[in-house]
Amino acid sequence: MRRRKGGAPDGDLLAGTLDMLILRIVRGGPVHGLDIAQRIERQSDQALLVEQGSLYPALHRLEERGWITAEWGTTANNRRARYYRITPAGRKQLLAEAGRWEALVRAVARVMKPAAS
Amino acid sequence: MSWRRLFSRAARDRERAQEMDAHLALHIDELIARGRTPEDAAREARLAFGNPRVKLEEIHEMTRLPLLDVLGRDVRYALRVLRRAPVFTATAVITLALVIGACTAVFSLADAILLRPLPYPEQERLAYLERWTSSPRGQGAALSHDGLAWELVRDRVPSLDSAAYGASFGGGVNLVVGEATAIVRQQRVSAGYFRVLGVQPRVGRGFSAEEDRPGGPQAAVLSDHTWRTLFAANPAIVGSGVLLRGEPYTVVGVMPADFVNLSDVDVWTPLRGSQRGEGGGTNFAVVTRLAPGATVEQAGAELAALGREPFANLQLRSDVTAALRLRPMQDALVESAREPIVMLAVAVGVVLVIACVNLAALLLARGGSRAREIATRMALGSGRRAVVRQLMVEALVLSAAGAALGTLVGMLVLQGLQALGGQTFAQWSRVALDWRALTATMTLAMITSVIFGLVPALQASRLDVNAALGGSSSRSVAGTARQWPRRLLVATEVALGVVLLVTAGLLIRTFVELRLLDPGFDPRNITTASVSLLDARYQSGASMNRLFDQSLARMLQSPGVESAAVGLGMPYQRLLNLGFLFTDVPEDQGRVTNATYVAGDIFGTLGIGLRRGRTLLASDREGTPAVAVVNESFARFYSTDRDAVGRRIRVSGVEREIVGVVANVQQLGSGFLLEGLRSGPLTSPPLVYLPASQSIETMRGAHVWFSPVWAVRARTMPDAAAAIRQAIASVDPLLPVGEPRRMSDVMAQATSQQRLLMTLVAVTACAALLLAAIGIHGLIAHSVSDRRREFGIRLALGATAGQTMRAVALGGVMLAAIGALAGGLLSLASVKLVQSFLWNVGERDPITYIAVTGFVLVVAAIASVIPATRILRLDPAQVLRSQ
Repeated sequence: MRRRKGGAPDGDLLAGTLDMLILRIVRGGPVHGLDIAQRIERQSDQALLVEQGSLYPALHRLEERGWITAEWGTTANNRRARYYRITPAGRKQLLAEAGRWEALVRAVARVMKPAAS
Repeated sequence: MSWRRLFSRAARDRERAQEMDAHLALHIDELIARGRTPEDAAREARLAFGNPRVKLEEIHEMTRLPLLDVLGRDVRYALRVLRRAPVFTATAVITLALVIGACTAVFSLADAILLRPLPYPEQERLAYLERWTSSPRGQGAALSHDGLAWELVRDRVPSLDSAAYGASFGGGVNLVVGEATAIVRQQRVSAGYFRVLGVQPRVGRGFSAEEDRPGGPQAAVLSDHTWRTLFAANPAIVGSGVLLRGEPYTVVGVMPADFVNLSDVDVWTPLRGSQRGEGGGTNFAVVTRLAPGATVEQAGAELAALGREPFANLQLRSDVTAALRLRPMQDALVESAREPIVMLAVAVGVVLVIACVNLAALLLARGGSRAREIATRMALGSGRRAVVRQLMVEALVLSAAGAALGTLVGMLVLQGLQALGGQTFAQWSRVALDWRALTATMTLAMITSVIFGLVPALQASRLDVNAALGGSSSRSVAGTARQWPRRLLVATEVALGVVLLVTAGLLIRTFVELRLLDPGFDPRNITTASVSLLDARYQSGASMNRLFDQSLARMLQSPGVESAAVGLGMPYQRLLNLGFLFTDVPEDQGRVTNATYVAGDIFGTLGIGLRRGRTLLASDREGTPAVAVVNESFARFYSTDRDAVGRRIRVSGVEREIVGVVANVQQLGSGFLLEGLRSGPLTSPPLVYLPASQSIETMRGAHVWFSPVWAVRARTMPDAAAAIRQAIASVDPLLPVGEPRRMSDVMAQATSQQRLLMTLVAVTACAALLLAAIGIHGLIAHSVSDRRREFGIRLALGATAGQTMRAVALGGVMLAAIGALAGGLLSLASVKLVQSFLWNVGERDPITYIAVTGFVLVVAAIASVIPATRILRLDPAQVLRSQ
């Protein structure tokens, strides 16, 4: 069965890159949803503020595509949480997206430079 | 995978919700740990998270199966739309159901009988032996052979494994097993019959060559049915004895349940074909199977090598060339069944086309009137694809409903066909509804509805949205233009309907002609019953005469009986063909006549008029000078130059004087071809009545093929039936008497095939006409609703409702007239197909054509006027305001 193309639900740049950011963070080891949101905020020095709920559709999408897997576990405080892990396919995807992203950033930078100087 | 996804959706949704709850709980914990109050923490966590329900919904959207969901929505919408147009929906579904049902039933019949291979292994190697003759007067082919030809083929054609079977006796024969008796159908077959067909007995064996020899041991093979019903499926049956026709037989085998014989048979006995007796005439059918490795060409060459030897006893004239050939078995078997079924299949095929056309017209019209709705939907942002898909789903929903109902209709129609035609065509009763035929018809109907549901959709979706929505004045103009294809479709329907009606009309006329035929006697109050004398005790003419005389004497004493007689065959039945010679002409001028042996006052009982001379009298007995009475045809065809009365003829070696000429009665055709004699289902060929009492030696051979029939004229049918039963039982209590039948029933039976065909074609034709009428009705109704505004203006300007109505209805009638004209012309060509079923009616019979045209125009007028009356209810002021 053909599936609807999973595009960016909100259509903006952040949403498009959200998948990549999640993959990047999940690559570091099993993390749960709150952790992911907080890491994105922390590592971007609060520049990228994620509505925490928005993570879940993205997580769902990534899981559906087989880039990440998840299982229930308990936190240090003995709370239930679903921990995400990257799959080999997810690593490949992350590499590809990171490559595309860098190319894009460089391209944008080249365009912006003359105007800035 | 997808299905599991679909069903695990709810579980996944639940898991997501739990995960989100866990997330919030974690976050709240964390915030509390940083020193927030629980209330603040909960609020902050929820704020950071956003609305979980929206997120769940988003995930839900992602996981759904888009096509199925959209389809589900489309189906729901389609159902709603169809419910809102109940007349359209009902018309379409009923049309579909009727046509799918009827076509499936008839095609099942055709498929099972004409197309499916025979139930024998390697059935393509099976063939009938055919005698092909050619002379300057014409060609002929016969499947019956004499003992000489049978023996030659059996012994001198190694490429063929051959078996013969004898003609079946009229009616059943008496079988006695211990205490039980039954009337069974017997078939006499040669040794190897079952081997040739390729089916071995389930118990025991087939007949040996020894048993198949004249005077050999009397052996019997039972059908599975007989074995079960009479012998309780006892496997130790082989070797036990039964009484068949009063003679002892030993059971040697039982056939398997799935063995389908060439005719319905309960017990087989050896044929014992020889060149004498039965084998002296062409009374055997020969089935052959190509020997392993042999080819048709080899077999043909071996048959040709026999030369004229097989025909030595047939006394063929010197200018006749004859040859033995092979006729593929399936071909030979379906020959008689083919024409009626093909005719029926063509008829329902036409109805199928009409129904599809009707459906197309309906959907076209609906598509047209929905232009506004479609335009609205497109204006609201619906894509063309969505609109087309929606319309397609609607068409499919219609088709599915029609197909479901059609399957039911198909079963009913098939049952009806079997009830109607099972007696005339025994094969019909074995047919079951064929799923291939059902699928084929259903597919056709679906394709029609999808195509014609789609065409307007595509058209409409290309519509200029503004024009359709904005200018209502442009609607009526566009509406009229769009009607053209539809008018053409409706006219086509009428034309096809006319073709069927003309065919039906001609068949009806044929049937009426047959029924109106002067029977030549008075059939009222006559009851007949036949008795099979295929019994060891009636081997001699003397014992038969004793039975005749004593039973007739008894019958005459019964209350209510006016007179009684017996004959070897009655009017409206087939009679014996017998060669004869006038004693006053040269020896080589022998002729053939129908003949019947009679006892009692046959002419008085049946009311056959005497033309000249005298009838047969009780005094014409054994020992008195032999006499005969002939009918008018005999006198007209064979005694043209002098009065038949007083001439002497020699029949079966006995010289007789013709003492009288009686009126013709109608008989079933028995292959008589005489110049000037009307041939057909019923005919009056030359016939000679021979007193049974003076035919003691000669009658014996004939009663094997023709059972004697008692005819009783009595006040009431029960009187007569009781008289026949009691009288015969009083003479011979062991003799089974056939079911007494009214003479009028015998007459009806004689034309049952014509009646069957007439009924079937007439019903089909009426269905076609009904569909065409629905088409006209729909067209007019649509044009009325489409042109409401125009009519409103007309009425407002002073036109009367009657005038407007007439103008509208006239359109429908004109259309029908054009269709009828085209159909009439088409019929002139198409009736060639049914020519062979017509009798005494020209294929261009003006009465039929005029009646059909009139009928069609009247129906068309009714179908046009009904919707046109809506104009009467039109309020011009309201109409003009509303648009």
